[in-house]
Amino acid sequence: MIQLKEIDKFIESRFQRVFILKGINLTINEGEFVTLMGPSGAGKSTLLNILGLLDEDYAGEYWFGEKNITKMRDRDRSALHKSEFGYIFQAYHLIDELTVYENIETPLLYRKVSSNERKSIIADLLDRFNMVAKKDLFPAQLSGGQQQLVGIARAIAGRPRILLADEPTGNLHSAQAQEIMEVFQELHKEGTTIIQATHARENADYGTRLIQMLDGKIDQDEVITHV
Amino acid sequence: MWKNYLKVSFRNLQKRKLYTGINLLGLTIAVVSFLAICLYIHHEWSYDKMYSGYDRIYRLNQEFRSEGQAELVSSTPSSLIPTLIDEVPEVENGTLIFDISIFSTVMVDNGEGNQEEKAFAYADENFFKVFDFNLLAGNASQVLAEPNQVVLTKSTAERYFGTANGVAGKALKIDNRDYVVSGVMEDFPSNSHINFDFLASFKTHRHGKDPEWSPSNYYTYVKLKPESDPQVFEGKLEQIVDKYLGKDLAEYGYETAFFIQPVTQIHLGDQSLGSIKPGTDIRYLYIFGIVAILLIAIGVINYVNLATAEATERNKEVGLRKAMGAGRSQLFGQFVSESMLLTLASTVLSILALYLIAPKFTSISGVPLNMALIISPLGLILMAGFIALIGVLAGIYPSLILSGMEPIKALANKTKMGGGAWVRKSLVVFQFFVSIGLLISTFVVKSQLDYMQGVNLGYEKEHLVSLSYHYNMREGIETIKNEMLRSGAATSISRAADMPIHVKAGYRVFPGGDNSREFMITGYSVDTHILKTIDLELIAGSQFSENDPKRSDLEEGTERFPVILNETAVKEMGWTAEEAVGKTINLGFNSNSEIKGVVKDFYFNSLHYQVSPMVIFNDPDQSNVLLIKLPEGNPTEHLATLEGIWKELVPERPFNPVFVDQAYEKMYSSEKQASVIFGIFSGIAIFIACMGLFGLVSYVALRRTREISIRKVLGATQENVIKVLAADFMKLLALAAVLATGFGIWFSNKWLQDFTYKTNISIWPFVISISLVFILAIVTIAYRSWKVYSLNPAKTLKSD
Repeated sequence: MIQLKEIDKFIESRFQRVFILKGINLTINEGEFVTLMGPSGAGKSTLLNILGLLDEDYAGEYWFGEKNITKMRDRDRSALHKSEFGYIFQAYHLIDELTVYENIETPLLYRKVSSNERKSIIADLLDRFNMVAKKDLFPAQLSGGQQQLVGIARAIAGRPRILLADEPTGNLHSAQAQEIMEVFQELHKEGTTIIQATHARENADYGTRLIQMLDGKIDQDEVITHV
Repeated sequence: MWKNYLKVSFRNLQKRKLYTGINLLGLTIAVVSFLAICLYIHHEWSYDKMYSGYDRIYRLNQEFRSEGQAELVSSTPSSLIPTLIDEVPEVENGTLIFDISIFSTVMVDNGEGNQEEKAFAYADENFFKVFDFNLLAGNASQVLAEPNQVVLTKSTAERYFGTANGVAGKALKIDNRDYVVSGVMEDFPSNSHINFDFLASFKTHRHGKDPEWSPSNYYTYVKLKPESDPQVFEGKLEQIVDKYLGKDLAEYGYETAFFIQPVTQIHLGDQSLGSIKPGTDIRYLYIFGIVAILLIAIGVINYVNLATAEATERNKEVGLRKAMGAGRSQLFGQFVSESMLLTLASTVLSILALYLIAPKFTSISGVPLNMALIISPLGLILMAGFIALIGVLAGIYPSLILSGMEPIKALANKTKMGGGAWVRKSLVVFQFFVSIGLLISTFVVKSQLDYMQGVNLGYEKEHLVSLSYHYNMREGIETIKNEMLRSGAATSISRAADMPIHVKAGYRVFPGGDNSREFMITGYSVDTHILKTIDLELIAGSQFSENDPKRSDLEEGTERFPVILNETAVKEMGWTAEEAVGKTINLGFNSNSEIKGVVKDFYFNSLHYQVSPMVIFNDPDQSNVLLIKLPEGNPTEHLATLEGIWKELVPERPFNPVFVDQAYEKMYSSEKQASVIFGIFSGIAIFIACMGLFGLVSYVALRRTREISIRKVLGATQENVIKVLAADFMKLLALAAVLATGFGIWFSNKWLQDFTYKTNISIWPFVISISLVFILAIVTIAYRSWKVYSLNPAKTLKSD
């Protein structure tokens, strides 16, 4: 489904190129649950951003199915971005001025989903995450775990095939983190491809594949077997 | 989608109160000024379009040509309109108006005593056919058809009879003649150049019964047939001149011609022609229009500056929305809808505010604010367009900046606002350029006004009172004069044709006597006391004595009657003042006149014009006013004494003293109005610009809180901190000041070129304007810096 060929990402400084990613070759198949791990600065977030079409400033080829993303027109790329990807952030990144309901609704608005359909999708999501009573609250009125649940609901509202999560549990305590990972597992079972970046080894156990990164390169790539 | 945009916009505006407040207030003030000016301009443009077929109605103006000089006036002979209606097929109809207020007032009596009225005119029987004003009572074709008929306006009828109903048929005595009220009309609309309280039938007047080709005292209007060509009509006017007027005038050395002027162009047209109602100089409308747009621009710039400055705070939101799939156009829509919402709110507030200031505005500008125009369908459509335009103008740049941010950087708060900084800086420069420029203009206009009011006119206008009297009082006027002098309430009195501030009678010097030149000269009819009364300085010869023959004695043709000339007239003939005395000149009278004395030039006209040659006649019978020099002391008491004498001797005539210095000031009322309006608008511009500066400094201060705290910890004083924050802005202000100085120099030259006698523009308007704006800016910055400085560094640094 996704194939990266010789991806380089670097910053030109005055005397040298500083590589953030170097020579990344990676294939991700539909239905995988991939965990990116590695120390800070290893390039996890950068790789995730490139995968999620948020960063276009790199060298190499990015194939999405049969399409070469690197050669795509802006308009097609943003259409693809809209239809295929959902994002979850470490810092939740909810819009402070919008209620829970409206935050979840936003991506649907950008996808021009009709009003009735929006209502039913959001109602399902609120139900699923037990947030029906909180739908009119603003992010500031929620706990961190609840905010991240809204973040997930928002990310999957548009029914993306691929879910990208950058340190989704980084700001949460362990009980909340566990709850989030169980949600991921469930989504994975329903067929969503998930790619997460994390520091926590235990999170990787929910996935099917673990990629260890070091200094902008893939260090290890292993399959996680569930007992 | 839009609902969502609006909701988010609303919450955003609500959340950031300072930001919203500054924008809302700034825009509202700008929009109020803009709307008020628009309504004012609209009113001035809408003149004389309420008559049916107004585009076929023309006023006839008459030109007198002689010796290469031409004078165009708006008054014409009484024979003109009947002749045109009879002989020119293009004419559908036409009417004549005789505005007597040029000459005198009338006394109106409804049985309860005399009242003096100014707005009285005669009009012929076609008046209501050409100008189809609505008659509340009476038939349009009959109300002015017979002698001794008078039509009252509604409010005049109410003034005299308490009601406008059932007034028709009642009697009214005007200047001791019995009139019948034949009709009542709606008050003249404020945007008609015709405005009277009384319209009497022209048949009552001598020339109404027997029209003549002289004098040219009447306003003539024609309505042409729909298919006729005005050019062709104008051509036929030449034939009329040849047929009826040419020969007579040629004898006096004159040629004449008639020209047409569309009725809609009277109000904003050439002001020197004269009209029933003073018009408006169209240049003022242009200036006001430009000022209106500048004010809106300043308000919009506030928004743009604050919104882009504030964009740093909204990086995260933009990044997020992009990550969620928002396209650029969708983000654009959101930010533009935010600015539209703000514009909408400020427009609504402006309309409310306009209702509040309407009476004040009317009293300053003399123009009623037609609020109905705003809430009319067309007004609402225009208003919606205006909101959309301003909303987009204000929103477009910030939206481009915001929607163009890269999501990754935006989310990481790494976007540098450096790209927008120069735009923001230029906008600040523009705002302050406009503010300082308007302020300089205000001072320039004001200093010319002060100059005109303080200039040595060559005569003394203080403690000088003008008292108009009627021609038929001339027999007894000497008695009144003597009684007044004896009472001690007047030190000197002279009869004169008019106040010395505007003397207009045109004469001509012909070759003859000792002089060979020919030129136009202004004549001033006075009596022997004029030099003493108004303090004219005699530089050669002597003044009139009681034994000198008067001009009225001239008809006997036996004696040369003496005149006094001004310096310019003497120079025109090529003499020095001393040489001139005793010489004779030909003024076109039966015999030549002898120059008895020469006075120093004095300003007998507006300072817009050069002092021209003047001849002073000893001709009390041509006089209309008494010029009275009051002694020192309380003028009110002196006037009371004079009034007592007047009431005793001529109880039936009104006692209406006018202070000459006040009348003089009134001559410059349009300049005064301009200076007031400039003052108001430059105040508004500075206020809005300073508010914007306050907002900008706030954001800068906020962003640099950490830096300021570190500086404070390191021992920076408050002054140091203010300097750090102010430095950038001061550079911008300095640039604005330089540009505004250039504009100011250009503007003052442009403005003053209309005045022949003008003040020297000193450096002070520039210094004062620039320092004033700098001081305001520094106070603004200082206040903001003080707020940040007073924060506890322990807290601000910890939170970072």
